[in-house]
Amino acid sequence: MHFKRLVSGTLGAVAILFAVAVAPVQAQTGVIEGQVLDDASQRPLGNAQVLIAGTGIGQLTNSAGRFLLLNVPAGEHTVQVTLIGYAETEQTVTVTAGQTASIDIEMSSTAISLNEIVVTGVGAETTRRALGTSVEVLSAEDVELAPVQSVDQLLQGRVSGATVSATSAQPGTGALISFRGASSVFGAQTPVIYVDGVRVDNDHATAAGTGGEQSSALSDLLTSDIERIEVTKGGAASTLFGSDAATGVIQIFTKKGTPGAPRITARVERGIEVPELWNIFDMGLIFPERVESGEIEETFLRDLYFKQGTTENYYVGVTGGTADVTYSVSGRLEDRTGTQPNDGSTNYNIRGGLQASLTDNFTLEFSGSYVRHNFARLYNGSAIADPLTTFEVGDALFFSGASTLHEALDIFLLPDITESVNRFIFSTGARWNIRDDLTAKLNVGADNRTNQQRRYEPIGFTPGEPTGELNRRDRSFTSVSMDAGATYGWESAGGTLGSQLTVGVQGFREEESIINAQGQEFALPGSFDFDDAATITAFESNAEVFNGGLYVDEQLSLWDKLYLGGGFRIDAGSSFGDNIDTELYPKATGSYILSEDLGIPFVDELKIRGAFGQTGKFPGAFLKDRTFSASSFRGQSAPRFANPGNLDLKPEKTSTVEAGIDAALWANRIGLNLTFYDARTTDALFQVPRQPVTGQGTQQENVGEIWNRGLEVALQVQVLNTQRLAWSVGGTFNYNENEVTDMGGVADFFVGSGKRVSEGRPIGAWWLTTPVDTNGDGLTDGSEREFNGTVPSPNKNGGINTTISVGNNLTISGLADWAGGHHVFDWGSVWATFNGIYRRELIRCGTHEGASEGCDYAFPVQYRTDGTARGRYSQSAARSAFLYDGDYFKIREVAVRYALPETIAGALNASRATVYANGRNLWIWSRNMLIDGELSGTSNGGGLELGSESSITLSPNRIFRLGVEVVF
Amino acid sequence: MISKNIPILGRSGRGIAGALLAALAMAACDAINPTQVNNPTTTDDDLAQATNPTAALLPGLRAQFARMINAYVVAAEVISDNYSIHGTGIVVDMDEPHEVTPDLVNSTGTSASGAYWNVQELRALADFVINEIAPEDAGAPPQLVAEAHYYRGMAYLTMGEVFSNVPHEEDGTPQAASVALGKAITDLQAATGFGPQANAALARAHRLLGDAGAAASAANAALSSDPMLLYTQGYDATSISNTPVAFLVLRALQEMQPLPRLDFLDPKYTDRESAIPIAKAEEMHLILAEIALASGNMADARTQLANAITLAGTRGMVSFDDIDERRNADLSLRPRSSEILIRADADSPYRAGLVLDRPSDGLMIPNVSGTSLDADSIAGLSDASELWHALWLARQEIMLLEGRRLADLGIKLPMMLREIDQNDNINEGDPGTLPIVPGYIPQNPRYAMDIYTPLALYDGVDPGVPLIETQVTIHVDMNKVLVANNASPFN
Repeated sequence: MHFKRLVSGTLGAVAILFAVAVAPVQAQTGVIEGQVLDDASQRPLGNAQVLIAGTGIGQLTNSAGRFLLLNVPAGEHTVQVTLIGYAETEQTVTVTAGQTASIDIEMSSTAISLNEIVVTGVGAETTRRALGTSVEVLSAEDVELAPVQSVDQLLQGRVSGATVSATSAQPGTGALISFRGASSVFGAQTPVIYVDGVRVDNDHATAAGTGGEQSSALSDLLTSDIERIEVTKGGAASTLFGSDAATGVIQIFTKKGTPGAPRITARVERGIEVPELWNIFDMGLIFPERVESGEIEETFLRDLYFKQGTTENYYVGVTGGTADVTYSVSGRLEDRTGTQPNDGSTNYNIRGGLQASLTDNFTLEFSGSYVRHNFARLYNGSAIADPLTTFEVGDALFFSGASTLHEALDIFLLPDITESVNRFIFSTGARWNIRDDLTAKLNVGADNRTNQQRRYEPIGFTPGEPTGELNRRDRSFTSVSMDAGATYGWESAGGTLGSQLTVGVQGFREEESIINAQGQEFALPGSFDFDDAATITAFESNAEVFNGGLYVDEQLSLWDKLYLGGGFRIDAGSSFGDNIDTELYPKATGSYILSEDLGIPFVDELKIRGAFGQTGKFPGAFLKDRTFSASSFRGQSAPRFANPGNLDLKPEKTSTVEAGIDAALWANRIGLNLTFYDARTTDALFQVPRQPVTGQGTQQENVGEIWNRGLEVALQVQVLNTQRLAWSVGGTFNYNENEVTDMGGVADFFVGSGKRVSEGRPIGAWWLTTPVDTNGDGLTDGSEREFNGTVPSPNKNGGINTTISVGNNLTISGLADWAGGHHVFDWGSVWATFNGIYRRELIRCGTHEGASEGCDYAFPVQYRTDGTARGRYSQSAARSAFLYDGDYFKIREVAVRYALPETIAGALNASRATVYANGRNLWIWSRNMLIDGELSGTSNGGGLELGSESSITLSPNRIFRLGVEVVF
Repeated sequence: MISKNIPILGRSGRGIAGALLAALAMAACDAINPTQVNNPTTTDDDLAQATNPTAALLPGLRAQFARMINAYVVAAEVISDNYSIHGTGIVVDMDEPHEVTPDLVNSTGTSASGAYWNVQELRALADFVINEIAPEDAGAPPQLVAEAHYYRGMAYLTMGEVFSNVPHEEDGTPQAASVALGKAITDLQAATGFGPQANAALARAHRLLGDAGAAASAANAALSSDPMLLYTQGYDATSISNTPVAFLVLRALQEMQPLPRLDFLDPKYTDRESAIPIAKAEEMHLILAEIALASGNMADARTQLANAITLAGTRGMVSFDDIDERRNADLSLRPRSSEILIRADADSPYRAGLVLDRPSDGLMIPNVSGTSLDADSIAGLSDASELWHALWLARQEIMLLEGRRLADLGIKLPMMLREIDQNDNINEGDPGTLPIVPGYIPQNPRYAMDIYTPLALYDGVDPGVPLIETQVTIHVDMNKVLVANNASPFN
C-alpha cells in the first residue's frame, strides 16, 4: 500500500469518528482544575489518574498534565493522584459552588514502586514492600504504548527472566514463553495464564502443524483494555497455584472502568508489513542454470512470491460510571494481509468490564470478551509442501513434478489452509468486606475456545497422488475456574506488628476435545467438502482434568519494614495416581527494607528479600490408568496395549530458593531489581520405557531430577529529567543454567530431533552425528553421535528500552532484545544437500569449492582410512555441520507518539488527541547467516518445545503503523 | 437463614450473598462434581466388563500381525541384497548389515527399524490373550484360541528367523533363536485348526532348525491340504496400510530400489491394500527341493524346484502404471530400460529381460510369485552347485518382498536398544546385542551387496536423457556366495 493512501485512509476514518463525538457533560456545582507536575523538573505529567476521594469523580490528565473535574460537591476534598513511576500524592482543596478551584500537584518519581499493590502469589492485595519474591508488573501504560497485538509479544524484552521466542511471520502462531529455564521434559514450558482469575487456554499447538508452525492459543489473547499484568516466575510467588505453577503464572487484569462521564476512546491505525528477507537467497543461488537460461530472474521469489502486506486496526471503547458502578466496553477490528501468498488474518474482539458496589462493603465485578480470529496461511518450514523451502533448497521441481519454476510455484500455492477461532472468556467476582479486618472474595469464570482448521490440497497438488485431500481439525477447549477465599488483617496498637492471613480454595477443570478428519480422493476440481471424498477417516481424542486445592498464606509485618511470610497449598487432582491423595506445597518468604535503618549514600530505598517455595506440574490426563486403545483395521475394531498405568503417579515438584534486592539509587534516578534463584525439580516426570518384551510402550513416572539456577536483573535509569526533556534508559538481563541431575535410571532419550536428555547435561543438549577420526591420522573418516556442548535454548537474553519525552507532547520509545548461548539447526540446508547444494559453504565461502580453499564454513570431507578423500560426508553422518550459533539482537520496536495541542483537541470536541507511528521487528543482527536464532520452528505438537530448529522460515515481518487516538 | 448470618449486608446484598452461597453449596454436590473425569479409552475395569473378551481382542492380534509383517519385510529386504535405500524415509545405515546396531532398530513404528518392537508386541499381546483372557473366557471358541496360537507362533518364528537372541519375558535373559523356534513349533502345532498356513509356518520353522524330516512332513501336510496354498496378509488403506508400498511406490523419493537383476519383479505391491504372502505352496516345494538337494537326491530336487517355478508362473500379475524414475540418492538414474543386459557378477553371462522400461504405464508385475527361471532349464541342471544356485535364486525371486532373504543370507539382527537399556539382565555385548553377519557377507566397499557398474548409464539425470551404457554388472552374486558357503540349514 502506498504511504499516501495510508495517511488518507487513516485521516478519513478519524473524521468519521469525530462526527459522532459526544459532548462532555456540563458542570452543575463546583469545578476543580489543575495541573500535575514532576516535582524535580516541573514537567507536566500526562496520564496521571486524578481522583476525588470518596466521590468517584476522576479523570486522567492530558498531555499538558491538566485535568478538569466537574460537578464536584461544594466542600473540602482530598484529591488523590497516582501514576506509575511516581509516589502516590494527595492534596486537599476546598470547592465553592459555582466556582472553580485551581491546584497544582507535584509528584515525586520513584525508581522502584515499593508501595505498588500486587495480588499474585499471596492470595490477597499486598504491597510490594512485603513481598519476599520477585513479581513483575506491566502497567496499563506499558501495554498501551507497546506496538503489539497479543500478550506474548508484549512480554518480549519487557520482563526479566522471560525467554520469549516468536515462531514465524505467519498469522495464528504464538511465541514460546518460558521462565527460569526448562523445569520439565514433558509438556510445554508456557506459564499458566489467568485473565481476571480465570485460567485460560495457553496451548501453543491447537491445530495440526503446517510445517514448522503451530496455531497458538496465545495469538488470540489480545492486549485490549488491560489494566495490569502480574508475572510470577515460579517458586514461592507461585506456590499458591500448587500443581499448576512450576512454569510460572501470568495474571492479566482487565479494565472495569473509572468513574466519571462517558469517555470514548477511538483509535484508527493503518500500516504496512514488509517481509524480512535477510536470510532468503533467492534463485540466483539455488537455480543458477535456470537464471542463466533466462527462464527466471534471480529475484524470482522477491518478484513473484513475496509482497508487501497491509494492516488495519480499529478500536473504539467507552468507559465511565458513578462512584458505585463503573464500566468499560470496547470493540476492536484488525485486518491484515501478509507478506506471502495465501497469508492473512482478521481479528474481531468485543469485551466489557463492569464493577458495581452494591453496598458500602459488597462489590461485584464482571468481565467478558469474545474474540473471533480468522486466518489463512501456507505451509512454511516443511520439507515437501512448503513453497519457500522447496525453492530455497532446490526441491521445487522435484516435489512439484513441474518442468518450470513458474509452474512449480503455481502448484505450491494450490493448498488452501484456513482456520477460524471463536473464543469467549468471562469472569465474575464478588468481594465482601465483612468487617474492616475481614474480607471475602469469590471468583468464577470460564474460557471456551474452539478452532477449526481446514487444509485443502486440491487435485493436482501432490505428484503421484493427484487426487486431492481435505484435512479438518476441530478442537474445543473449556476451562472453568473457581477461587474463593477470605483474608483477615490485624495490626497491633501503634502498628508495630501486623498480620494478614488468607485462607482459600482454588481449582479448575479443563476439557479438551479434538476431532481430526481426512477426506481423500476427489473426482472433480472444486470439491471442498468431505461428502465428495472417496474415503473419509476420522480420529478423536478427549481429555479432562480437575486440579484444585486449599491454600493458606500468612504475612507478618514488623515496624512496617520487616516482613515474614509463610504458607502452603494442599492439592488434589484427577491426574494423580490412585495411591496419591494429596500433595503439599509449602513456602516461606522474608523481606527487609534496609534503607529505613541504614543511611547509605545515594541509596533512596533498598529492600532485601529471600524466599523458599515449592510448585508443581501435574501429570498428563489419564496417564495413571492402564489402558487399551483400538483402531480400525479391515472393518474391525482392533485393540492393543496403550498406556501401561502408574498408581503412584504424582506431580513433579520444583523447590526454589531465591534471593534478591530492589533498590532506588541516586535520588530515585536508578532503579535496580536483582534476583538469584536456584530451582530443583524432583520427581520429574519422564516417559519411562517399559521393556519392549512386555509389548507396552512408555509410562510417565516420577523418576528424574532437574536443576536450574540463574540471575535476573532489571535496571532503569533516568538519564535526564528537565522541564523540556526527559530521557530514561533501561534493560533486563537473564542468565540460566540448566542440568538434568538425575535420570532415575532411564536411558538417555530425545525431546525433539537431535535434542537429548542426558544426565549431567542441559535438557535438549544437541546430540548429533559428527565426523570423527577413527584411526588417529588426523583426518575424519567416521561418524559418531556426539554432544558438542551446545544447546537449543538461549542461556542468556535480555532487553534494552529507552523513552524520550520532549516537551509535553512528544514521546519516543524504543525496545531491543537479544538472546544468546544457543545453537540452531538448519533443516533447509540438510534437504538442500540432496540437490548437491551446501548452502552455508556456498554462501559463506562464495563457492562450492570451500573445502579445497580452506574455508572454515566448508562442509566436512570424509576420508578413507588410507588418507584419500572420499568427498563430502553424507548429511546424515555430519548433522553437526548444520548447527549454527544462534546469537541474535533485534531492534523490536520504535514508537513515536505526539499528543496534539489542547487547542486542536478541543476544537475537535476531544479531551485528548494523539497521533503515533511505530515500527516493529525493524532490524536483525544474527551471528549466522541462514537461520533466525529466535524462531522456534515448533514441531513437537503439544510437547516440550525447545525450539531452535527450522528450515526456510520467514522472520517476523517488519511492520510500520500510523495511527490516531482520540479521547472524547 | 442465610441472610440472618449476614447482618451487615443490605437487602439486595443478602440476596446476592445467598445466591453465591447456594452456588457454592451446589458446587459441592455430585450433580456438578467438577472433579469427576472420564477416561475415553478402555481401562482394566472396562475390559472386565467385556462379554466376549477373546473375540474382542482377536482383531487386535490380527492388526498387530499385519504391523509385524510390514516392519520386518521392509527391514529384511533393505538389509539384504534385494533392495537398496535411496531417500530419507529409511535410515541409510540399514542398507549395510554390519552397521545395524541396537540403536538403529530402536523404533516402535512399523518402518524398517520397528521390526523388533512389533514382533515382541505381537508375542506379548498373544500371551495376554492366551494366558490371561481365554482361560477366564468360557465362551472363547477353540478356533479363535487356535488363531491366537498361530499369531504367537508366527511371532516366535519371526524372532527365530530374524533375531539371534531375544528375551521372551520381562526381565528375561536373551534366548537363542533355536529356543524361539521351538516355542514357535509348539504354538503352531496348537494352531493347525486355524488352517494349512500353520503347517506352512511349521515347515519354515523346522527348516530353520535344520530338521529335514519334520520340515518335509509339515511341507507335505500343507501341500496336501491345498496344493495351491496361498495365505496372505491383507491391508487397509485407511489404517494399517502396506508399508513396503510407501517406500516402493507412494513416497516421492521411492527410496526402496531393487537390485537391478530383480527389477522385473518390482514393485510386487502396488497399492496401500496390497496383500503380502505369508504362506504359499511355492515355499513348500522349495523346502522339499532343498531337503532333497542336501541329501543328494538330485532328481527330487529338480522336480520340486520345477514345481515351485511352474506354480509361480500360474500366479497372478498386476498391471501397474509406474512413475518411478529409478533414481539413486544423488538423483542419478539406475537401470530402467529393457535394452539393458545384466549379469549377476563379472563371471556370469549377461541376461536380457530383467529390466523393464520405466517410468511406464501398463507394466505387468507378478504380485504373488515371479522368477526369471524356467522349469525346463531346471531339468537340464545336473551339477549340484548349479542346482543349489538355482534354488537360492528361486527363493530370492519367488519370495521377494516377503522377508525370507535376510535369513537365507544368514544375517541376524540385534535386539532393540530399549530392551538392553531397560532390562537389568541384559548388558551390551550379551548375545543378541550385536548383529550376526556371516564372514562371507562382503563388507568392503560399503553396501557391497547392492552396488553395480557402471554407475553412469545415462547421459545426464534429466528425464528423457539417452542411454549410453547397456551392460550392467552386479558387484557380487550372493547366490553364488551362499552355494560356496553351504548356507542351507540342512547342510
